[in-house]
Amino acid sequence: MIKAGQIDKGTALLIKGQPFICVEREFVNPGKGSAFVRLKLKSPTTGQVLQETIKSQDSVEDINVEQMDYQYMYNDGENFHMMNVDTYDQFEVPMANFEGYELLMKDGETYRCTVYNDEILDIQIPSKVVYLVAEAEEAIKGDTVQGATKFVTTETGLRVRVPIFIKQGEKIRVNTETKEYLERVNN
Amino acid sequence: MNINAAKARSLLYANIRNYFSERGYLEVETPTLSPDLIPEATIDNFGTTFINEFQGSREMYMIPSPEIFIKKLLASGSGSVFEISKCFRNCEQLGQSHNPEFTMLEYYTVGFDEKDSIALTQDMIRKTALSCCPASVLEDFEILSVRDAMIRYAKVDIDELQNPRDLRKAAQDLGLPIPGPESWDDTFNRIFINFVETSISKDHPVCLTDYPKQIECLAKASGNYRRRWELYIGGLEVANCYLEETDKEIAKDYYRREYQKLLSLRSDNGKVIPDVDDSFCETLSKLPKCSGVAIGLDRLLMVESDAKDIDDVLLFPFSQMIGH
Repeated sequence: MIKAGQIDKGTALLIKGQPFICVEREFVNPGKGSAFVRLKLKSPTTGQVLQETIKSQDSVEDINVEQMDYQYMYNDGENFHMMNVDTYDQFEVPMANFEGYELLMKDGETYRCTVYNDEILDIQIPSKVVYLVAEAEEAIKGDTVQGATKFVTTETGLRVRVPIFIKQGEKIRVNTETKEYLERVNN
Repeated sequence: MNINAAKARSLLYANIRNYFSERGYLEVETPTLSPDLIPEATIDNFGTTFINEFQGSREMYMIPSPEIFIKKLLASGSGSVFEISKCFRNCEQLGQSHNPEFTMLEYYTVGFDEKDSIALTQDMIRKTALSCCPASVLEDFEILSVRDAMIRYAKVDIDELQNPRDLRKAAQDLGLPIPGPESWDDTFNRIFINFVETSISKDHPVCLTDYPKQIECLAKASGNYRRRWELYIGGLEVANCYLEETDKEIAKDYYRREYQKLLSLRSDNGKVIPDVDDSFCETLSKLPKCSGVAIGLDRLLMVESDAKDIDDVLLFPFSQMIGH
């Protein structure tokens, strides 16, 4: 058991016998009241989403998970194919449970995963990742209405708004939570 | 570093100072470091030590609000005052809507009750607003009592559920898990946070008035409620107001109970237990009739500049300084 206040993004909990992963956590303090934590929990197996707001001091059942490294090989449109880098065991992870991850994960890259009962509950993507610019729009000269930005597409297919000086073939660092451009990365 | 946010802050402060100065309020500057605090069990504190190598040292505390000093001024006959003060609250989330060091605007109007303060606050926000301020912030306040809000959004009439057991049953009927017996106000807050705070309008400011008397504070009680309100703008809690308690015995009773609660919450987890001094209750008995409002200026800046995170209006967010 852990206190609700200890729950963080990625914490695995057992709710009515089902594993859930915390995907959002916010502390809330009502005026002159004790501290609460607002949680958004997702079941990696069924995709079910729960919203709960409980007191930080309430106890909740956490589960013993393992953190293991998996290499992302490819996706077939329905599943991510992942390989355990120690055992070479391969796993299929339903893409529907990790919406948008295909735009963030790079083929061949290793990701730390949360594993419970031989099931991948969570794939941890670093908060800042360097991507290759696969396609870049030509910036329209004199168009400064948008603060002189344009869209590029990364090698993973993610569209990012960037300053106009970014060119195809360059590398950029992206905040994977907000999908926002952070900086150009020199080779 | 967001210099535009700093410019917006500078302009807002200038507007606020003009607004109150033109209306005869005295701007005051009171200490942020205090030898004692008003006990508030739900607000965690920062402590530090004043060191005197030869004559002894003593514990000091960063204020969670300038209330303690402003009330001393009011009791000594200062008349209406305002202050823009740094405040410190420990153990809260970093980012989103909290920064451990933040800026509070407090204004106390002699002769006013809490209802007069609603009109003043509405007028002040409109007259000091930044030009970029969304229209929704400047709409008329919706004034709603906490009892009516609980009826509207949770279908629970707290007047009928004054017993902790009955309220707990009502919360469980709403599907809220409650691990065991707890105080009435804890159960109230479970319902409030889950059903009311998430439902109140974000299209216009909402002023929730008359909080349950079981939530103890230094606002005057009336029947089952206390004469105080909180203002939500865009769903974010921005301001808090009291009709100030001036009864010495009631205040002493508050000090005693709240300090006990504070001790029981902090005795075994290393949290700061501040010194309290109940001679302050004598001061409270000398307060003129007055109503005080506290507005979180960082949050007001957030809603006026449509920022989603408090870090966006701070030059040096605490979370970034400590690498979170």
